[in-house]
Amino acid sequence: MTAPTQAATDEDTATEAAGRRPLLLLLGFGILWLLAAGVLAFASAIQLHTPDFFADCPVFTHGHAVALAESAWVYGWVGNAGLALAVWILVRLAGEPLRAGNVVVIGALAWNAGLFIGLVGIATGDATGLPMLELPRYALPLMLTAYGAVGVSGVLAWAGRRRSIMFASHWYAVAALFLFPWLFSAAQVMLLWVPVRGVLQAVADGWYAQGLWSLWLAPLALAGAYYVVPKITGRLIPSYEAASLGFWCLVFVGPWTGGRHLIGGPVPAWISSIAIVAAVTLLFHYLIVLINLRASFGGKSVALRFIGIGLAAYVLGGVVDAATSMRGVAALVQFTYFDGAQQQLALSGGISLMIYGTLYFAVPRLAGRAWASGSLIRGHLVLAVLGLVLLVVSLAGAGIVQGQALNDAAVAFPRIAERTRSWLMGATAAEGILLLGNLLLAANFVQTVACRRSAAKEAIAS
Amino acid sequence: MKNGLLLFIGLFAALGFSWAGIVLGSNVQLGALAPFFDDGESQSFPQRLPGTAARGQLVYRDLNCASCHTQQVRRPDFGSDQARGWGDRQSVARDYIYQSWVQLGQSRTGPDLTNLRARKPTAPDAEDLMELLYTGQGGMPAYRFLFETRKVTGQVSEHALALTGRLKPASGAEVVPTARTEALVAYLLSLNTTYDYPEAKPAPVGGGDSK
Amino acid sequence: MSAPSSQDPRSEPASVSDEQLLAAHEKPLGRQPDDKANYRLQPLGILFFLSGLILFSATYLNRYAGHFDPTIYDEGQKPTKGGAAVAKADPVAQGKRLFNSAGACYTCHQPAGLGVPGVYPPLAGSEWVQGPQERVVRILLYGLNGTVSVKGNAFNAAPMPAFGSSGFNWSDEKIAEVLTYVRQEWGNKSPAITADVVAAVRTKVGDHKAWTQDELLQVH
Repeated sequence: MTAPTQAATDEDTATEAAGRRPLLLLLGFGILWLLAAGVLAFASAIQLHTPDFFADCPVFTHGHAVALAESAWVYGWVGNAGLALAVWILVRLAGEPLRAGNVVVIGALAWNAGLFIGLVGIATGDATGLPMLELPRYALPLMLTAYGAVGVSGVLAWAGRRRSIMFASHWYAVAALFLFPWLFSAAQVMLLWVPVRGVLQAVADGWYAQGLWSLWLAPLALAGAYYVVPKITGRLIPSYEAASLGFWCLVFVGPWTGGRHLIGGPVPAWISSIAIVAAVTLLFHYLIVLINLRASFGGKSVALRFIGIGLAAYVLGGVVDAATSMRGVAALVQFTYFDGAQQQLALSGGISLMIYGTLYFAVPRLAGRAWASGSLIRGHLVLAVLGLVLLVVSLAGAGIVQGQALNDAAVAFPRIAERTRSWLMGATAAEGILLLGNLLLAANFVQTVACRRSAAKEAIAS
Repeated sequence: MKNGLLLFIGLFAALGFSWAGIVLGSNVQLGALAPFFDDGESQSFPQRLPGTAARGQLVYRDLNCASCHTQQVRRPDFGSDQARGWGDRQSVARDYIYQSWVQLGQSRTGPDLTNLRARKPTAPDAEDLMELLYTGQGGMPAYRFLFETRKVTGQVSEHALALTGRLKPASGAEVVPTARTEALVAYLLSLNTTYDYPEAKPAPVGGGDSK
Repeated sequence: MSAPSSQDPRSEPASVSDEQLLAAHEKPLGRQPDDKANYRLQPLGILFFLSGLILFSATYLNRYAGHFDPTIYDEGQKPTKGGAAVAKADPVAQGKRLFNSAGACYTCHQPAGLGVPGVYPPLAGSEWVQGPQERVVRILLYGLNGTVSVKGNAFNAAPMPAFGSSGFNWSDEKIAEVLTYVRQEWGNKSPAITADVVAAVRTKVGDHKAWTQDELLQVH
């Protein structure tokens, strides 16, 4: 591919202006929730080894802290930032300015208002107890409508694109935008408004959680990765014709892993068997993505490094998921912290890091000026990776110790708590490191966006 | 892929396919699961939760106890569930048909609670549970906010906890559980799924002793 | 274009524009060499891997999905032709449960089958229990009145209630099960009684008031 022309540069700045306010607003909210989720995760990690922490406070009792942290991370951080970046990519690839910007702003405010109401609801006792859908039901219709408001500009950008060709980022971004409302509303209805009977709630929630992962979280991250990697490296996606296979594999096979956490549980065997089979088949998707985006592993670009490490974490998370779904392994690690380790590897590792990479690439273009500080970015990278590695290793170690102790009927639970204590302290430290890294991101973002610098705008080569 | 319509149809098909397979399929199989009527005992199992216990389930859900406790027993050769006295047989779908909000849980920071009423070797009683909630143990925090420390007026309340040592309240004061706690404990003590349904202990194929 | 300062993370320069990105990926890439790997082998390798995964999935589901039967919870259980075999309840276990159910046999005959001296006859070692099947079935169906002699001792208490249609209305299966239990427990070693025997007695005798010892000894 050849060097960009001057015309391309001018066009991009004009395109960006329309999207500036709404998307930066979403990104700002996202980072805010990222920090909140980080604090809550830090607190709940402390509670695991020091149960007295906030034990007297009915609002932040451990059950609430865990639910709050998860909801804030999924619906606050990824819901805002991932969505903003997906819309941004669609707008960029469309070659047209963002449309319905005011609707996006309203949508952003409504989404975050709904989320806030939901989180307050959890804190005051309305948590649903369903993994990935802890928000109380009264907050959800507002959030669904708000999502539509934000998504509409993405859909308009995609529908009105100049070139009819669709790129990999298109597929992933459109998938995320289009499928989330269906997934979200189906889950709400089945689980909270007209609940299904008995264990079907667990089955439906499993379908929703895995559907959310494979049809929303992963596509949002991959849309960014597929866009940023060739943009920075200037090289073609190596096996592009396989990329669509990888996409369809994710979308078709991903939600079938819904019975993943019901192995040995009170559901007929076929539900967990299908989940195991799906988790293994999903390895194909991870292979394709790895082959196509491996250019992110080399290079000096920090954004690329974020994406590269995120990609590695994403693929490794998938492999670990397939491995731990095997019943022999599940007998050891099911119901332990190891599940948490795999989840953190995939979420805080895979998804978050890829979104950070895209964010660091996007914000200078959105804001029209370079990031305020390069060392904060590098610091964020170091802390994010360090925190991730420490977190995953600590939780995995805690999980294995816990699993072995659980399988030995002679070991009482207070003893298990003692044995895992030091591992869990490592996990707490890791959460602290991750939080610190995110604080760097937040500081950098605020400085970049809010502070007007009198120095001339640095030329952005688009 | 050039065709946007194809993309949409494909995406919708993917979602619909998995929904139909997992959710609809299991709903068709398990949605109409009826209680099992036992001729010998002349009653059907499982039994519905009595009123206080049903309210207690809401307290359980509110506090998100499921973040540390599971309510599903795995079969005897899968882990140590049976050896720990949590249940002699695997939990099956029929155990949960009368629970409005099923709290299976995915994490065993604390023990499984499915058959708390019938825990072996000794099942806890209300006093044990109240004290456990008040004092905490190991990884479980002390849920002091579920209790009320108040002055003794007249006689000591019969609901007051019998605490000793460090935890004993000041003289003239007693620690009583709130209504929430009573409901929660009633719920915990109603947890009993020991009835052997036909599908819970299938006969071994090809003979052999049935366990 | 100036050399991109790829070292400065504050503004990552893009090497290509969006137009070029889209245009470059528009054409099928079959003609573009993949400079990192041997291009010809890679798509074959990918397809081979995918086929392997599909083979694994099919085999796994065939063996471990229990034929998608909702009553099979143990994936290791080899699926039978007709779904899960439903366990037939063990009559002795059922009988024991019936014996010990509220307000039933154990209240008078005691849980160990020893009865109360002079009041309720024992069942352990009793010649009535281990005697002819029809006789003990009659006792259960219609009840027993008056004095009864067991192992040389006399027992005289409130009459034994009827468990047939004139009394507790137990089914043939229940009566057969409880009798089967009693006839093999506490040292008794008599063969089981089936529900058919009970049904036959019911039909043969029809309605009857509670038996006395002499009446029963006359019949058997």
